[in-house]
Amino acid sequence: MTLPSEQQRKERIDRGIKIRCDSIYAIMSHRELSYLALPRLILIAGMLILPFVVPSMYWQRVFTISCIYALLAISFDFLAHYVGLVSLGGAFFVGIGGYLAAIANTSLGLSPWLTVPLASLVGGGLCTLLLLPCLPLRGVYFAIVSLMYPLFMARVIEALDILGGTDGIMGIDSFSNRWVEQYFIICILLLILFGARRLVNMDIGLVLRGVKDNDQAIRASGISVTFYKSVAVFLASAMGCLSGACLVHIYMWSGISLFALDFSIIPIAATVIGGSGTLVGPLLGCLILVPISELLRDFGTLRIVFYALILVAFIIFRSEGIMVYGQRKYHQFERWIKY
Amino acid sequence: MKTRHLKVSLILLTVVFFLLSAQPTLAEKPIVLGCPLSTAFLYGWAAERGFKLAVDEINARGGVNVGGTKQMFKVEVIDTRDLEPGVPVSEALLAVEKLILNKKADFIMGGPVRSEAALAAMSLLNKYKKVSIVTTGVLTPKYHAMVAKEYDKYKYCFRIHGEAKNLVGEMFANFGELKEKYNFNNLFIIAQDVSHARGAAKVMKAVAEKKGWNVTGVEIFPTGATDFSMALLKAKKTQTEIINIWMDMPESAILLKQWYEMKIPALPFGSTLAAAEQPGFWEATDGKGEYTLCNVVNAGNAPSNATPWTMKFYDAYTKKWGVEPEGLGTSSSYMAVYVLRDAIERAGSLDPDKVISELEKTDIMGVYGRLRFDPKSHQVIPAKDPKEGVVGSILQWQDGKRIVVYPKSIATGTIQLPPWMGK
Amino acid sequence: MEILVYGTINSIMLALYALGFAMVYGVSRLPNFAHGALYVLSGFITWSFLNTLGFNYLLSIILAILATGVIGALIYQFVLIRVRGMEISEIMASYAIGLAILEGLRYGGFKGMTYTLPAFISGSTEIAGVPVDYQRLLVVVIGLAVVALLWLFTRYTRIGLALKGMAQDERAAMMLGIDSDLMAVTAMGFGSMLAALAAALLLPLGNIVVESGYNILILAIAVCVVGGLGSWMGAVLAAFLIGFAQILTVVYLGSHFQMVVALLAIILTLIIKPSGLFGRQKELEERV
Repeated sequence: MTLPSEQQRKERIDRGIKIRCDSIYAIMSHRELSYLALPRLILIAGMLILPFVVPSMYWQRVFTISCIYALLAISFDFLAHYVGLVSLGGAFFVGIGGYLAAIANTSLGLSPWLTVPLASLVGGGLCTLLLLPCLPLRGVYFAIVSLMYPLFMARVIEALDILGGTDGIMGIDSFSNRWVEQYFIICILLLILFGARRLVNMDIGLVLRGVKDNDQAIRASGISVTFYKSVAVFLASAMGCLSGACLVHIYMWSGISLFALDFSIIPIAATVIGGSGTLVGPLLGCLILVPISELLRDFGTLRIVFYALILVAFIIFRSEGIMVYGQRKYHQFERWIKY
Repeated sequence: MKTRHLKVSLILLTVVFFLLSAQPTLAEKPIVLGCPLSTAFLYGWAAERGFKLAVDEINARGGVNVGGTKQMFKVEVIDTRDLEPGVPVSEALLAVEKLILNKKADFIMGGPVRSEAALAAMSLLNKYKKVSIVTTGVLTPKYHAMVAKEYDKYKYCFRIHGEAKNLVGEMFANFGELKEKYNFNNLFIIAQDVSHARGAAKVMKAVAEKKGWNVTGVEIFPTGATDFSMALLKAKKTQTEIINIWMDMPESAILLKQWYEMKIPALPFGSTLAAAEQPGFWEATDGKGEYTLCNVVNAGNAPSNATPWTMKFYDAYTKKWGVEPEGLGTSSSYMAVYVLRDAIERAGSLDPDKVISELEKTDIMGVYGRLRFDPKSHQVIPAKDPKEGVVGSILQWQDGKRIVVYPKSIATGTIQLPPWMGK
Repeated sequence: MEILVYGTINSIMLALYALGFAMVYGVSRLPNFAHGALYVLSGFITWSFLNTLGFNYLLSIILAILATGVIGALIYQFVLIRVRGMEISEIMASYAIGLAILEGLRYGGFKGMTYTLPAFISGSTEIAGVPVDYQRLLVVVIGLAVVALLWLFTRYTRIGLALKGMAQDERAAMMLGIDSDLMAVTAMGFGSMLAALAAALLLPLGNIVVESGYNILILAIAVCVVGGLGSWMGAVLAAFLIGFAQILTVVYLGSHFQMVVALLAIILTLIIKPSGLFGRQKELEERV
């Protein structure tokens, strides 16, 4: 006999196979191994095959640009969700990295293989140094100050007319070969992605996550919060400078528009759409956003309107992001059970 | 169920986008002119209209004769947004690449409008070996200097409109006259903080001092500055008679309106003063823009009789678009298409190297004078007489109309001073 | 002397830009990145009423102010209220809406430099030997009146007091029966109306272009940050500080440093004293 007020509730529990994959039991059989490894392998294989699969050279170029934005997005996600520093100034990293690579290439004559690592390391150091005074800030204050940095740098370069001023630096070498260009960036991207994922689970990652959750507790443990924040900013800005350096070598040019707001906004949008907190989400978000933005070019000016509206829709309705949703579905299932 | 609908509609939207970006096939392959322009800005949409007008006229007469077969021109415009602040130049470059790789453009016309983007695009054009004629924006002398410096690398780039150095020369021709006529001596220079304007301001100062002018001040304003009061006050205090303005940002309207209200006794002599070039400027300022001078860089953008073709173009444009040619970019884009057609027909093919050598031999009597390119720098050759080279136009707003006051060979009026200058 | 006169004018202009932003942030802790867009939007609405529909100028202004207020309130009610409390999402959502509005205006044909609003009065006069045009004088007078009215409003009217209460301590306000959501919507509406008022006063000085939306936003943020996010009077004082700093820079350093001043002000304030001049000092909340 069913009671009229019989109630049901939705329950979400881990899938059986996920539980069987816990720690050492993951190597129990092929099924467990593939459950864990398959998504990652698909990602890697997909990224490596994509340049061959896309219809034309133009789309290869779009894919490369997406990878560059993806590097920025991963750095944003890393800072925002693993360290608690919401940085609206991705453009700052791109600009510094780009200019350093340009100077290294034109004045010192170094080849792209040298300028890119140089720009990312030196750029990372420089950005960290410049952001050092702002590191103790929290929340929205850090967000605003990081937003102002690229705008400020752009204006300073414009006002002082240094480093090429508003014309920029031209005549930078590009990579030797189209395919080299693409695969270099894809490989770096994959290395950084998996490296970052590994990092957040190591000791230093735990400290960083502690900084995000409760920095007073970290401070009370005698650990210098500012030091760890600067380590995190160094890593993130190195990633950003890397992407900036690659960008100038692809386009053989560098100028103040490397500090443009777009480089700050698109990574954030990609993170929101792709799923913040998982470092893969921003990557996927970029792979979706940049091609859509290019496809929408046919609409002319309306393109940005659509783009902005899609962004707002995602923020409001699906604010967790695609990847978080995907992970949830993959690891857990839902069912109705009676009370 | 709401999320389901969202997913379905997202998928549908994606499919629609893919379909829309598919290329329709034409019976005979047209010559595609890729135009990366900033269509939301005057210099961009003026060029777009100039291109479309020329292409319609040429296609109506049968098209281009390429070594025996007739092919039509086709215009593909992509909005690069490069004149907007906050948009990285890589957007513009991506647009150029989309035109070349996706839309299969044979020639790139108009060029990215902002100097920074155009300079960056030069390397790109070399990489894909596409001939390009820049027709609007891009006033930096660096453009043709780069072509001359590294010919083999940048030979694909041509520029068919005047650049900042010409403009400086034209300014001084006029200033000299005003000096003689009214005994002017004091010059104040206001420039926007972009490289061509700043460079021009420096050159103006140096040349002015050599010619005996007293330069009462040089003020550089960053893009987006909204307050020019101090500069105007300084000009007034130092009894400046001419204020030379090099600004194409919209805030120049603030400057001009304030000039009128405060009745500063100085002549606002603008160079590329985008706000004042358009026919709508008069209404927009309620007539307070009177006496403003600006340089539209090429004849044909303001009414004059430089060549028999000038008014024909002017009227055809007005008829097609319902508004008179608005400013820099209109006549130059129109002529660029004709010049290209001429070069293709003489070359007999679309091969870039052949077209380049024919473009270098161009000699047409166009809308704004005799069009020839310098074979080393690919810059169009200027002159004071339309029979020898291309002429610019400096116009002054008088009584609601744009009156061309320079060069003398095509002028329809003379420079008037505002009544409160007392002369 | 001219520094004094034009410094004051510049400061009042900055204060007008910033008041709307300060109000919204003060009451609901929402950084409204669509502020610049609303400013430009109200300018174009006024223009449309004036030119396309041919209304009287004053009527157009009043209608545009009301319309912008309604649009602002609607944006809050339907979009921003759902992301309240999540800072990044608020910033992104309001920025995206601002972007959509601005680009939508561009698509709708509002491009180019020929859109202007007529000045209220023409001509100029001299104040202590410094020539000033009437429109700017009017801006100063009305601007000061607005600031005064705002102060009176938040002190003596019920709604004003409720907004002020929300700004001071949201929980205490809710305990007193003030509906937090309703107040937040009202604050957004008022903030948008202030933006529209600023537009009505300041746009006749130049022309209405979409690009100025971004600049206005940066200036508003600069003023509010220096004055202390959340304090309205602080914003006014900070406006004077930055306004005079800009004029002094133009006169003594060089006009091309104008924009650098505003940005530098933000960075320095946030590094040295994040709560700004008059923000409530919540040391633990703002830095580690």
